[in-house]
Amino acid sequence: MSTSDPIVYVIDDDEAVRLAVKDLLESVGMRAETFASGSDFLRAPRADAPSCLILDIRLPGQSGLEFQRSLQAAQIEIPIVFITGHGDIPMTVQAMKAGAVDFLAKPFRDQELLDAIHRAVDRDRARRDAQAGVRELRGRYEELTPREREVMLLVVQGLLNKQIAAELGTSETTVKIHRGQVMRKMLAASLPDLVRMAERLGLPAQKY
Amino acid sequence: MAVAQRYMGTKVWKYGIATLSVVLALVITQGLHPTLFPTPLFFAAILISTWFGGMGPGLFAVALATVLLDYFFISSRPGFALHPAALLYLGQFSLPALLSSWFVKKRREAEVALREARDQLELKVEQRTSELRRTNEQLESEINERRRAEEAFHKIQLDLAHLTRVMTLSELATSIAHEVNQPLAAIVTNGDACLRWLGSEPPNVERARDAVARIIHEGRRASEVVKRIRSLSQKATPHRAPLHINELVREMIALLESELARNSVRLKTQLEPDVPPVLGDRVQLQQVVLNLIVNGIEAMSGVKGRPREMQIRTEKLSGEQIQISVKDCGCGLDPEHADDLFEAFVTTKPGGLGMGLSISRTIVEAHGGKLRASRNPDFGATFQFVLPTVEANEA
Repeated sequence: MSTSDPIVYVIDDDEAVRLAVKDLLESVGMRAETFASGSDFLRAPRADAPSCLILDIRLPGQSGLEFQRSLQAAQIEIPIVFITGHGDIPMTVQAMKAGAVDFLAKPFRDQELLDAIHRAVDRDRARRDAQAGVRELRGRYEELTPREREVMLLVVQGLLNKQIAAELGTSETTVKIHRGQVMRKMLAASLPDLVRMAERLGLPAQKY
Repeated sequence: MAVAQRYMGTKVWKYGIATLSVVLALVITQGLHPTLFPTPLFFAAILISTWFGGMGPGLFAVALATVLLDYFFISSRPGFALHPAALLYLGQFSLPALLSSWFVKKRREAEVALREARDQLELKVEQRTSELRRTNEQLESEINERRRAEEAFHKIQLDLAHLTRVMTLSELATSIAHEVNQPLAAIVTNGDACLRWLGSEPPNVERARDAVARIIHEGRRASEVVKRIRSLSQKATPHRAPLHINELVREMIALLESELARNSVRLKTQLEPDVPPVLGDRVQLQQVVLNLIVNGIEAMSGVKGRPREMQIRTEKLSGEQIQISVKDCGCGLDPEHADDLFEAFVTTKPGGLGMGLSISRTIVEAHGGKLRASRNPDFGATFQFVLPTVEANEA
């Protein structure tokens, strides 16, 4: 198994349930790690792989819902599949509103759990890919010289070369060269492509 | 004989006896004459007549004896004029007749008085006896009534204890359902995993076997939970046996585990490993422990900003006693209610019946123990009860 294989974290205070879920996941060839509490999970090192969290809504000390909130507060983004011993509608609503992938009542069907896990892992993979893309883009952006960054900012704001030259107090030819460098270094195929990249990088659309 | 009986006691009988005895005395005296002096047999006849007939027949016998004596032995000639010697006899005969008749009369009177006294005494004794019997019966029925009342009271107490136990269980229904559901969830998931292990190519029998072992284990666990609930909800007659309080406390904690989790209560236990066994009714003592834990959880339901901690301790005290204490950090004891905390129908909870602590105390006291509540120096309250050990019961 490579490190990019998905991993499922299981948090349930009941050891029997923990072990059963882990065994089920292993029987379909998935990696699983189990924890008795949220704080145990936070203390443990997490693999750099698409993952999801199977979280019991009832935990001693901090409930599953509270743990979901504290994960969000700590900006730990991991899709959550809730499991609970009793179908509690208000809790379900709260959990789903807070972004849970699914909510399963124990005892659940194995296929239901596996489907939910697949959805959660897919969501995490997409998020990770997106994050990886932004990271790479930022790396390219950081390669630009300060001047090139200035030019790129003005280009994506829709200014013409002439206007940019006036703005920066240089010649139109110089702007053209900088602009060519930006397109090349950012691997942008076209102007709209560059504009999208700027958006993903969070550059301001308007200078003022 | 029947004729004799008919006349017995009558005048005819009495005078008959007098006549007969005198005539008999005459016949015998005449037969033995002159070897025998003539008077003694007549004396005897007169005494007999007086004895059986009283004064009248006695005097009659005197007269008859005098006349016959005069006729046959003194005058020896017919006629009714008495010889002067006969008059002497008359006097001689009359004196014993009068004396003995007086004596007989007195004796008869004494006898009658005695009989009357005896009859009266018997009557009195009978009266007193029946009075005593009545009192006794009354007392017995009062005792029976009292016993019945006590039995009824005892039964009501048992019913009430059962009722509050069931109510507590119903309050805990969600948590208890969770306690049963957990092992069931594990069983189902293990079963699913087992099928997948068997269905893989090649089948992984080793892992499948592990899964089945866990299924069995969890099945047992679920049945333990059910057994515990059933014993608590049953209405069994109290039965005392030696039991280990630590085991009992652990069982109740296991039952309340998810209730504690649901209320975010952190539980610390300090169970002294070798506390001696106590003699008690398992279900009743479980009820006390259950009540105290549930009360503690409820007392902490409003606690925010500090951890909700509960501490359960068991320890051996000196003097063959053990102590079980449940400490919470909740709202504590309201000084207004501190005194009547253990009274029936006193409650600080909106939905409470006010029976829990009252019943707990009744149970503990019936076991020869004591249940107390005290305020903690910082937050909350501590409820603790003391029970005598088995050795203390035997002593």
